[in-house]
Amino acid sequence: MSDERFDERLKEAARAYARRLPELPASLDDRVMAAVRTRALPASAARGADPARRGRWWRWLVEPQQVRPAWGVALAAAAALAVWLVPRRAAPLAPPATPAVAALPAADTVYVRFELAAPDAHQVALAGTFNGWDDHATAMTRGSTGVWSVTVPLAVGEQRYDFVVDGARWVPDPTAHAQVADGFGGTTSVIVVGPKGVVRT
Amino acid sequence: MDSSDGTVVRQVLAGDAEAYRILVERYRAQFGRYAVAMMGDADAAADAVQEAFIRAYDGLATCRDPDRFGAWFYRILTNQCHSARARRRDTVDVATVELQGKDRADADVERGELGGRLDAAIERLTPEQREAFLLKYVEERSYDEMAELLGVGADALKMRVHRAREALREMMGGADA
Repeated sequence: MSDERFDERLKEAARAYARRLPELPASLDDRVMAAVRTRALPASAARGADPARRGRWWRWLVEPQQVRPAWGVALAAAAALAVWLVPRRAAPLAPPATPAVAALPAADTVYVRFELAAPDAHQVALAGTFNGWDDHATAMTRGSTGVWSVTVPLAVGEQRYDFVVDGARWVPDPTAHAQVADGFGGTTSVIVVGPKGVVRT
Repeated sequence: MDSSDGTVVRQVLAGDAEAYRILVERYRAQFGRYAVAMMGDADAAADAVQEAFIRAYDGLATCRDPDRFGAWFYRILTNQCHSARARRRDTVDVATVELQGKDRADADVERGELGGRLDAAIERLTPEQREAFLLKYVEERSYDEMAELLGVGADALKMRVHRAREALREMMGGADA
């Protein structure tokens, strides 16, 4: 068979092969939109952040990071200072739910869903090592029962975090499987992420 | 009403999350079959497409050219398919996971023996070869377009297509005899 004839046969075969593949059902659209509705607006678009800055933030979030020891000390100090600077006396909150792992891990990131039951709160955010302890970076969405939630991609490794209620109260997650002292009389929550999900040991 | 990709992306970024459905419908239909070809079965493909859409939504503000959302999403989907296939190799020999169940049976009846041999040969290509082959022979993309979509050099893609073509020629053997 000549190369030209073989190429023609291949094109026909490839098109026929593609036609025989099943089309994904339209119900997939509903599943995607249901997931989208539970998430924060893309990269804080509503706050009008600079697109280039948002791009860097996103890449920083989804790519593996190597932190030099000196920077680690500086970041830890900055995080502790941030916690120290805000009022620590939090109003009683309803028991928060346990962080749940979404079933969509990638090779070096895992999607983790965080939840906090805080029916009286007006806004709740998630701040931690994964977003530079930025209390505006990861807004949580209030569900109808007063449970606030957000799903974020976390790099494999250990992460520390708190919830930030009404922009002022930094609340550790009492259901986290580990808490560590923040050095100022309070605690901050720890989550350890492995390639296949949250490590609960 | 203008429903170009760029317009819809800007609408979503302005706070209208529901507008994202337009892109989901558009590219689920366009790229869904490609995902099935990459993943080997419809259920795994649906999972990969769903996660790709969610990732695209989360990173929408990083889409540098909203008018070319499709190409950007395609790269996310391709990466998602590659990652998912790599994870499945831990427990399943992906090369043996092809169209399954009723879809497979229906397809066997619908196509003749030669068609079946061609399908089987295509499915035995490596994922990288099949991806390059489908882009070249089904979508008839140029190598430059393929390079942009996949983030792989045009020369490397030419080699993949060449190897896919030679592998198919060998696997099909005397199909034309």
